[in-house]
Amino acid sequence: MMSIDQFPTAFLFFAGAFALLVLPKGPVRAALLLAVPILAGLQVWGLELGTFNQVEFFGFTLDLMRVDKLSRVFGLIFCLAAFLGNLYAWHVRDTVQQVAALLYAGSAIGAVFAGDLITLFFYWEGTAIASVFLIWARRTEGAYATGMRYLIIQIGSGVILLAGAALYYRETGSIAFEQMTLGSLATWLIFISFGIKCAFPLLHNWLQDSYPAATVTGTVILSAFTTKLAVYALARGFAGTEILIYIGAIMTLFPIFFAEIENDLRRVLAYSLNNQLGFMVVGIGIGTEMALNGTASHAFAHILYKALLFMSVGAVLFRTGTSKASELGGLYRTMPLTAVFCLVGAASISAFPLFSGFVTKSLILDEAGGQHYPIVWAVLVFASAGVLSHSGIKIPFFTFFAHDSGLRPKEAPTHMLLAMGITAFLCIFIGVYPDPLYALLPYEVEFHPYTMAHVVGQLQLLCFALLAFGVLMRTGIHPPEIRCINLDTDWTYRRFMPIVIGGVSRFLSKAWAAQSSFAQTRIRGVISRLYHSHGPEGRMAQSWPTGSMVIWIAVLLGFTLIVNFLS
Amino acid sequence: MDKHPNDNPENYPALGRLFLWVDKPGSANKVFWGLAVFCGLLFLADFSYEKHSHFDVEHLPGFYGIYGFVMFTALILVAKTLRIFIKRPEDFYGDKAIDRETYPEDQLEKVDHDVD
Repeated sequence: MMSIDQFPTAFLFFAGAFALLVLPKGPVRAALLLAVPILAGLQVWGLELGTFNQVEFFGFTLDLMRVDKLSRVFGLIFCLAAFLGNLYAWHVRDTVQQVAALLYAGSAIGAVFAGDLITLFFYWEGTAIASVFLIWARRTEGAYATGMRYLIIQIGSGVILLAGAALYYRETGSIAFEQMTLGSLATWLIFISFGIKCAFPLLHNWLQDSYPAATVTGTVILSAFTTKLAVYALARGFAGTEILIYIGAIMTLFPIFFAEIENDLRRVLAYSLNNQLGFMVVGIGIGTEMALNGTASHAFAHILYKALLFMSVGAVLFRTGTSKASELGGLYRTMPLTAVFCLVGAASISAFPLFSGFVTKSLILDEAGGQHYPIVWAVLVFASAGVLSHSGIKIPFFTFFAHDSGLRPKEAPTHMLLAMGITAFLCIFIGVYPDPLYALLPYEVEFHPYTMAHVVGQLQLLCFALLAFGVLMRTGIHPPEIRCINLDTDWTYRRFMPIVIGGVSRFLSKAWAAQSSFAQTRIRGVISRLYHSHGPEGRMAQSWPTGSMVIWIAVLLGFTLIVNFLS
Repeated sequence: MDKHPNDNPENYPALGRLFLWVDKPGSANKVFWGLAVFCGLLFLADFSYEKHSHFDVEHLPGFYGIYGFVMFTALILVAKTLRIFIKRPEDFYGDKAIDRETYPEDQLEKVDHDVD
């Protein structure tokens, strides 16, 4: 009997998913959904650093558990996120979503601990396949189509990873998942595969397309894993790759414009998620110990406050049936606790001092300055003000304050409040007392976020931006929330490509029809001419009786010849 | 959910009643001017400590404040302009898109606050 320490963490989740099926629906199942991540979290907490669980697979040695400080901190936050997400989803009785949540979290954790590219590939695809059910579980035609688009892109990322891994093996003779240098086709393929999941610019739109389409609880769970797995994979494989600094900087920048004018608040949060990933990618690109610490800690803090924001908007959707800013407003009256939790999430993502974003993002910002990237630094500071505009102001303000929508929904259910409360507490705890988080990071931390310069600088940035918001609202310049959608790159495959493909196929089918009708006319002509000359009425038919007589004589002669020959 | 027919603030949760202050006439003004004063203090705070910064521009008094104000305004203006070009009706991608669908009622618990 293996003790739990030797059991790959991912397998705990898979075993949980099987056990779930035999349990009766109801609180017992919901309790199992909480027990599994707790057990897994305790296991990860107690793991010694090293590589365990090596398995032979078609002549390759797979490392199922490569535990170092980088994989451990991601493993821990994934367990925590799975726990909080499942607590938030306590009321869900849908087996599909419950099983998907466990398999998805398990795959993500398995991928984080994977020591080789083959194991990584299996879990990489595992996250894709398990997670799409959280979208399909909405059970509408729109969600089905969105899920299909999501699945194609996610599976595509995995296929590219596999191709990259195969080429990498041919090049180096190794499947170990270690630091790589961009250069060969193999490493570029692996890089692009990670980039798709990490929502690099122009590869990003699956995120904003699919996350708002998932169920109320599904989006909370989705927000934690896929993209942060990609951040981990980049940090593991491509730390210090300079191009990532610029990719990351663009990632922090462009989503803030889209988020500002987006009406669906869950899509606003998806854009904001994209922007936060940018900060992490910049940290990976800089690649120094402090920058990587910044990336890991920011991923940790980000998973919590992003989940908190998705939870609060989800609770509003759960109670009102909509997450559109144009339909909401004034909900603080009857959902005050949800409003407070949302404000905590907003303050955390905006990186107000005493909230989690402040103690993690400043690691990356400070290092961007310290390593002397002035333009990148300026972009990141601008993007920090941009975060405030959509996640800090827009989400809480237009949901819970602003004009009174007249909606008077009941406060969120107790288990949702509990999940939001714990998450909010963690956001503040990390912000006030960052040392325990710093201790978990891959490298030694020598950083003091609470210096006068940091605090005053950050408060100036945020408060003057708030003031600008006030001015723009009072002057009526701030764009109103209206019912609409905005074009993004999904237009290319939802509109442009279908038009092109439709056009081409119409052209081809017309050309085919024209061609075949032309051929038919020709053949018909030939037949009728033949008929005219050889048909019963034709000139050639005049010699039919003579002709057939000759044929029969020939047959008889031939037959006689064969008989003679054989006898 | 329809607009609430007989809305009675006394039935709101205690915390919700407390927050009603923000919708009182004049409260928004107080918040705005309070924030303005706080911003002024933050600006002055820049003179009270020595900066150890990475770039010269950070030594400018109130640099972060000015940058935040200007860039935030620019962001809103650019986004507003962007909207002119990329805004489309909700049914742009047809009716089988989530933007047009209502969320399935059986997965929600739409309850009013005064219903037990």
